[in-house]
Amino acid sequence: MRKLLSIFVTAALPFAAQAQDAYVIGVSGAMTGPVASNYAPVVEAMKAYLEHINARGGINGRKVRVVVLDDQAQPSRAATNAKQLLEQDKVAMLLNVSLSSTYAPMIAESKRAGVPLYFAGAVCPKETYPPADPLQFCSTAFGANLDSQAALAFVKAQAKEPVRIGFQAMAIPIARAEIDYAEGLSKTMGMTAVEKQISPPPTPDYTPFATKLAEAKPNWVWSWSPWVAQVRTFESMRRLGWSGRYVTWAHLNAEEELARIKDGEFYVVGTNAFLEDNLPIHAEIRAVAAKAGLNYPVSYLTEGFVAGLVVEGVLKNTAWPPTPQKVLAAMNTLKVDMKGLRGGPLEWTKDNHFRTRQYYRVWRWDPAAGRIVRAQDWQAIEVKR
Amino acid sequence: MQVAVNIAVLAAIYALICCGYVLIYRVSRVLSLAHGELMMLGAYGLYATASLFGGHPLVAIAAAGGLALMVGVAVYLALMWRMTGESVLAAVLATIALGILLRGAMILVFGTQTQYPLRDLGWSNASLPVFGARISVVGLVLVLATAAVYAGLFTFLRFSRWGIRMRAAGQHPLLAAQRGIGLHGIYALAWGLATFTGGMAGMLIACDAGLEGTLVIIGLKAFPAALVGGLDSLVGALVGSLVIATAEVLLIHHVDPLLSDVVPFAVLLAMLAVRPWGLFGTREELDRV
Repeated sequence: MRKLLSIFVTAALPFAAQAQDAYVIGVSGAMTGPVASNYAPVVEAMKAYLEHINARGGINGRKVRVVVLDDQAQPSRAATNAKQLLEQDKVAMLLNVSLSSTYAPMIAESKRAGVPLYFAGAVCPKETYPPADPLQFCSTAFGANLDSQAALAFVKAQAKEPVRIGFQAMAIPIARAEIDYAEGLSKTMGMTAVEKQISPPPTPDYTPFATKLAEAKPNWVWSWSPWVAQVRTFESMRRLGWSGRYVTWAHLNAEEELARIKDGEFYVVGTNAFLEDNLPIHAEIRAVAAKAGLNYPVSYLTEGFVAGLVVEGVLKNTAWPPTPQKVLAAMNTLKVDMKGLRGGPLEWTKDNHFRTRQYYRVWRWDPAAGRIVRAQDWQAIEVKR
Repeated sequence: MQVAVNIAVLAAIYALICCGYVLIYRVSRVLSLAHGELMMLGAYGLYATASLFGGHPLVAIAAAGGLALMVGVAVYLALMWRMTGESVLAAVLATIALGILLRGAMILVFGTQTQYPLRDLGWSNASLPVFGARISVVGLVLVLATAAVYAGLFTFLRFSRWGIRMRAAGQHPLLAAQRGIGLHGIYALAWGLATFTGGMAGMLIACDAGLEGTLVIIGLKAFPAALVGGLDSLVGALVGSLVIATAEVLLIHHVDPLLSDVVPFAVLLAMLAVRPWGLFGTREELDRV
């Protein structure tokens, strides 16, 4: 019995010591399940970056320990994960890298424990915009309303003829709300909104939705949804003979998909730089991904690296020993150099937990050059109350 | 005309998925809730063979079809055989467990990225004119494949020795066994054929729209069509698919696209209230469940 006890103590000690010596952050992410392709690369890339930092000596001389729990994009699992991370792992910061349906239970747990919650995978909740909720923060590329403002501004700048615009979204609350907002905005910008199609998630054939949209004869379409709905609707419209221009949101896989689709009038609007830019940070991402043995294309990893840079920036300003209060204080004054991955630094203030300025670029495939080109360089939108 | 083409393609998708549910239920009274996962496994089979036999698309397709058939037989031999004599509920629960296992295994083996088997086969999905409307090549193949599968199954069940044995085993397993029909062989064949047709649906959907995790849910979306038609009737599966697809496409086109997600279940509820055994199902069979 004594021998058994000594084995247990010996086995448990290094973990306890490791936990005490490290900054511990907890992630609930959709690592498996139908939507894992959007979220697992973010978590893996962030983990790989923080392991890379650990290998270089850590932050403030301490390692960072990332506890990742899979929620399969299910709200009930996200709630259980948050409880476990807060009560068992005693994390100083909670991260959500999952579908927006998992936000509510994690917000509730974060509020109960007074631990800051950082959204690093899906659409930023409105509560991170000014005036921000004290505990919610977000760095993801998406920006509800701002994305539509950027996309429609691009359409207006490009259009040489009166704009007849169609809209497409997946039947999930956040996408529907955004496309409803875009429809209203288009009217104020002098465009004619001709049709709006909302497709269920998932649907076996997008052609019926594309037929209705194409029959309205839009010369532009704006789609803001999970990638599958955006691109399948576009491909179905093309097969129906529609020849207009299609603007979509640049998800993780946008760069790879532009090269697959090879359509000169298919545009993606986004806030992350593409590998095509070949920045010094891209070489670092490639090296870290190779070292960690990540199986995703390197172009999928930018969002995860942004999250890694943010966590690094927050913990650098969190004095040892870390507490949720100290982490929160560091988050409220964060300014991180994005090293070119975004149009400018990511800055949080006490009042603004989204970012003070959001930068957008637009890309498309250039059939003549046979490569991806920028259709519009960084355009900034001030994020105000 | 485009609306009619859209109905035909959607009905073909549902019908091809449904016939797997019907084959297994008709022969062994088991409702396979792993059908969506087996369908996705069939699609991943094509993705794997397309990489393996690069430059030989027909070989890759034939290999993927053979693989799907063998997987179905293997599922029966490894799992469902052991459920013989157990309650129907236990067998259904076993298929749920199988589905969970397959889903996890597919993520581990193939990852979470979207794959494009058609591109790997070296083909593209062009658009063809049909009576003033347009249909994708894969859409056309889906309609033709579904017609061929149903024609083949009707011929097989009506005229072939194994088909007649299969019907006998479905109607009265005890009597069939007493007449010397090997029930395990029949059941294994039914699982093999069901997985083959489901896999074929998975392969064609993946060729049309890419291969990703949501394919499992599409497998479940076809389920109301099977129930509306009658779970033990192939004709019912065909008619049920046509009814559901027509309702969905017409609502998208003329009323509200959001209703397309609800209408299969609304039709199903109406059918359960009026005729619970479905349009072409057998009343006795349903009572037994």
